[in-house]
Amino acid sequence: MVFSSIVFLFLYLPVVLGVYYIAPVRYRNLWLFLVNLVFYGWGEPVYILLMLFSICVNYFNGRWIARVREENKKKAKAVLALNTAINLGLLLFFKYFDLIAETVSRIPGVSVPTLGLTLPIGISFYTFQTMSYPIDVYRGDAKVQKNFIRFGMFVALFPQLIAGPIVRYKDISDQLGERMGSTEQFARGVERFTVGLAKKVLIANNIGALWDACSSASSLTVAGAWLGALAFSLQLYFDFSGYSDMAIGLGRMLGFEFRENFNYPYISRSVTEFWRRWHISLGTWFRDYLYIPLGGNRRGLPRQLLNILIVWALTGLWHGANWTFLLWGLYYAAFLLLEKVLLLKPLEKVPVLGHIYTLLVAVSGWMIFQLDSLKELWRYWKAMYGFGGAGLINESDLFLGRSYLPVLLVAAIAATPLLKNLYSRISPRIRAVATPVLIALVLVASTAYLVDATYNPFLYFRF
Amino acid sequence: MTKRVNRIILVLFSAFIAIFFLANLFIPDREFSPNENRYLQTLPSFSFRSLFSGRFTSDFESYCSDQFAARDWWISLKARLELAQGKGENNGVFLCEGERLIEPFSAPPAAEIRRRAEIVKTFAETANVPVTLALIPTASELYGDILPRGAENDSQAAVIDLVYSVFPGQTADLLASFREHAGEDLFYRTDHHWTSRGAFLAYQTLSEALGYVADDGSACMPEIVSEAFCGTAYSSSGFFWVTPDRMEILRPEPDGLTVERYDAGVPVPSSLYHREMLETKDKYRFFLGGNSPRIVLDTGKADLPSLLIIRDSYSDSFVPFLPEHFSRIHLLDLRYFRNSIQDYIREEGIDRVLVMYSVNNFCSDSNLMLMTQ
Repeated sequence: MVFSSIVFLFLYLPVVLGVYYIAPVRYRNLWLFLVNLVFYGWGEPVYILLMLFSICVNYFNGRWIARVREENKKKAKAVLALNTAINLGLLLFFKYFDLIAETVSRIPGVSVPTLGLTLPIGISFYTFQTMSYPIDVYRGDAKVQKNFIRFGMFVALFPQLIAGPIVRYKDISDQLGERMGSTEQFARGVERFTVGLAKKVLIANNIGALWDACSSASSLTVAGAWLGALAFSLQLYFDFSGYSDMAIGLGRMLGFEFRENFNYPYISRSVTEFWRRWHISLGTWFRDYLYIPLGGNRRGLPRQLLNILIVWALTGLWHGANWTFLLWGLYYAAFLLLEKVLLLKPLEKVPVLGHIYTLLVAVSGWMIFQLDSLKELWRYWKAMYGFGGAGLINESDLFLGRSYLPVLLVAAIAATPLLKNLYSRISPRIRAVATPVLIALVLVASTAYLVDATYNPFLYFRF
Repeated sequence: MTKRVNRIILVLFSAFIAIFFLANLFIPDREFSPNENRYLQTLPSFSFRSLFSGRFTSDFESYCSDQFAARDWWISLKARLELAQGKGENNGVFLCEGERLIEPFSAPPAAEIRRRAEIVKTFAETANVPVTLALIPTASELYGDILPRGAENDSQAAVIDLVYSVFPGQTADLLASFREHAGEDLFYRTDHHWTSRGAFLAYQTLSEALGYVADDGSACMPEIVSEAFCGTAYSSSGFFWVTPDRMEILRPEPDGLTVERYDAGVPVPSSLYHREMLETKDKYRFFLGGNSPRIVLDTGKADLPSLLIIRDSYSDSFVPFLPEHFSRIHLLDLRYFRNSIQDYIREEGIDRVLVMYSVNNFCSDSNLMLMTQ
């Protein structure tokens, strides 16, 4: 199930919230545990078993680690290693088996059949989230969770189950007990959810059609290629950050506070800064559970550079089972390394140059992310940088540019903190009226688009 | 925010989702959406098999959006919001001047067009009777200049040129005649079909190829049969506020004409016009009663030649002009007719054949190849 669907907004959500607030406080976690499974199993009911298995393994291993970590550090470490292997094994099997099989089969004389398994929804997200718990317990960063329902609810919590943010156990452990919730928190949740809904339904879906039109054009001009690349960059940001906003908003409606996942990435002045502002929870996860354990920056520059390379190769592959994602990760590793040893200081001195450079890297990089093969990528990059041979601009580009100008402008402005800052400067009296009115307008407009759309997939849905 | 505003926001959101939750629960389901011209998803029945195959949940999602309260109002609102952004179109349909709705044409690759042309060529070479080919250019070609500049709209003229260059028999240059009379309403504003006037012009243009002397218009007796025709472009666009089309006929139902439909193999008496269809949404079925694998018209004028039309739906409003020139007129629809056309020509003693398709249908109908089987 996705948030921007009729069945979620007008059936699942009213029922979940209704029962949640009518039921006695002590039953809220049980209720959430159950409806999480419905949410998760909606697309592939069989995988509820996988989810339950994953919850059980991490729950019992967490307890095991907690029991032995004081007196037998070695044993605790072994259990942790086993647990991590199971988690990564499931991820590897369900997400990467076919990629590995296809790749290995290219060796003459070797043939491994592919399985064609449906990817369990959100497996990349919840595997990372679940894995963090036994590690936190082992490190002593979090207390063991003895209540199975609470732990299960944390793993399968529907707001962030399928597309993040990736919530680390230690960040949320003290919210797993009884949550009272407040009108204040609920209202902030509604605001945030509505912002996310607008980003997803009114901007991302809308501008996605521009990318489709540009990328499928018979002749790709320079202007057309840039229009398409910009459209996709904005679509992805509004799609994914909109989803995170909705997740944070829904969390608040249920009494949870999640950490932020995006912080206006497109205003960054360096690639290093970009990745501190884009998908923050993933970057944090890799830092805490991979980069620092590998030694981080404490073992000299060569080792640090190697660590960055490892982290980014895996970050790339995490995004999808295709070698182009590995390339995409290494592409970023290259820029990050370059900045680390050379560029960061000069870039800080000329911010304008930093902005332009960062946008060029990010927008060109999304093409690696989005296009399925090197051949397509090469064609697209050639077109963007003037070697496509289809000229600078044509009538069709002008038409598309004109048609999408309003939404492009809105998206470009909304990708910066400008609107937010302006809105917070309006007098509170006006805001007291404007906020509910804007919420109502967004809900009505989004509903119109959702009813109209029969096709409404999330870009990050299958990752 | 003050406590009061927080409460307003809470109530606003909760009420919004709760009201539609309850409305969807209690408003009776609709089976058919006339506006969308399709059956809507009804409540899927539950079984563990359908649950685990994923069928149940996907049907249930369709059910929720298909049966959403005031569905058509929301669709029309979305269309208005698209127009408000200056897009000029919704769901692939442009709203042009004079409330004309145009769906741009998208041509298949030249090799595909050539392949289709070769099928008709082979058919003509093996038919043993004269075969005439008429491709009907539609509104996006004729009125293409009122689309916004730069909107993707492939040339239908190029398709027609390519196909006619391959075809060995007689062809009809409908585009030239249509262009001469482009000022008249040759196509409905809200539908993809031609009007009776468009069909009449085609009838005049085809006279030489089909060997009759066409009426110059003096025999026309215009009668308006409906002022409320909302066609397919209307439905898919969501522009539910545009003025409906007027539907007229230029010929009354002639005396002595028998029409028989073979929907299920056996003949059923029918007629040129079906007034009962004017009460439904899909009013174009007024002509000949809608699609059928085989329709045969007997004019009682046994000394005249007989004609076979390999048809799409454009033929339905074209046929009323033909009875005075032929003894029998056969309409076969390759989408539903499953026997050999060659055999049919021989067995029914057909004198001439007209293959008439709109450019769009010619480029997309996968049953075209059945012509030569």
